[in-house]
Amino acid sequence: MRIRVRVNGRDYQQEAPDHWTLLRFLREGLGLTGTKEGCGAGECGACTIIMDGLTVNSCLVLAPEADGTVIETIEGEAVAGELSPLQRAFHKHHAVQCGFCTPAMILSIKAFLRTNPRPTVREIQEAIEGNFCRCTGYQQIIEAVQEVTGQREGQEELGHA
Amino acid sequence: MLRPFFYVAPRTKAELLGILRDEGPGSRLLAGGTDVLAELRVAGKAPKQVVDIKKVEAFQGIRFDPGEGLSIGPRVTCADVLASPLVHREYPLLATAAAKLGSPQLRNRATPIGNICTASPCADMAAAFLALGAWTEIESARGVRRVEVKDFFVGVKQTVVEPDEVVTRVVVPAEMAGAAGDMEKLKRIRGHDLALASVALVKHGGKLHVAIGSCAPTPVVLPVLPVDAPVDEVKAEALKVIRPIDDVRASAEYRTFMVQVFIERLMARVEPQ
Ligand code: FES
Ligand code: FES
Repeated sequence: MRIRVRVNGRDYQQEAPDHWTLLRFLREGLGLTGTKEGCGAGECGACTIIMDGLTVNSCLVLAPEADGTVIETIEGEAVAGELSPLQRAFHKHHAVQCGFCTPAMILSIKAFLRTNPRPTVREIQEAIEGNFCRCTGYQQIIEAVQEVTGQREGQEELGHA
Repeated sequence: MLRPFFYVAPRTKAELLGILRDEGPGSRLLAGGTDVLAELRVAGKAPKQVVDIKKVEAFQGIRFDPGEGLSIGPRVTCADVLASPLVHREYPLLATAAAKLGSPQLRNRATPIGNICTASPCADMAAAFLALGAWTEIESARGVRRVEVKDFFVGVKQTVVEPDEVVTRVVVPAEMAGAAGDMEKLKRIRGHDLALASVALVKHGGKLHVAIGSCAPTPVVLPVLPVDAPVDEVKAEALKVIRPIDDVRASAEYRTFMVQVFIERLMARVEPQ
């Protein structure tokens, strides 16, 4: 089927087999390999993207279902080679270790902060419950989120910045 | 990787029922896809076609009719349930259950009707629907029928829905509006996980309704009891309906124990309105 999508502000039109997932379409169809496949079954969240404003596991969406939607992926995050504030905070707080979970983690947090700009630690934890970090850098990820929300003023850094 | 199939997305209910009449057995219905696509991948199954029902206009929306009750369509997601002030006000247990299901990404796609159609013993929405006495409306080209959620499940991942049929609504009766209820779900971690055991409990109109998940081949519901039934009697009734097994996630003994703990907690916590 012919799929029309707007990804990170750019319009694409491309043929894809009916049984392709959106994840496969992004990676193999459009060449946007920033979105990762972990489990391919809705467990790990490594494939998380934003579709029409909502986070989804792109391994659990068929490419034809995404026809006509507006999509945000990690490739839209840095602008003209400049990291976004969230990416800079991840960098500063060492919230990236192997980096496999990071693109999806950023997208989940981005969507979450739009609805909750001043979250508690518990709310941040719940917001990323669908994103596994096998390097288990959760604490640093939470610190990075608090950094962009301005909730770390006066708090001591861990010293790894 | 998914094996090849065709994708069709009918725009009307009549078109959908026609497809199911002609090609029901080769078709797999798709709503949120969070169970269907995982299943197609893991089981390596290949239906002839996947029939996306999300384009059917009539399938959207959460509506309340004072005579009938709360009606939820097949396009409604768990996130929609959570975002509905109507649900929070009149049927808060549904919001509690929806919040316990999966992760934010899964709730954005997963549908309550899909949750019961998958018919996993641990379906979170099923426990809530059972405790609220909900019923389903099932349609095919042959006609419409109504099946109580308590009669909907036949076995593990099996329901009464025939290959040419589709569940068009789930309805929570008007008498249950305002019902006080709550749910406990046991998981291995605090993050997203399937239930090892769950209990949903409702106290309303002098009656006590208790449903249990992950402790039998299907979600189960206790016979309706008086609201002031002693806790020991409720636990004894629960032990009669559950048939837990040992599996990789928990032992039958642990499940049995925790069901009783949850009943104690919920009996103490839920205050009838
Ligand atoms: S790859 Fe999609 S959830 Fe793991
Ligand atoms: S940084 Fe390695 S999985 Fe998260």
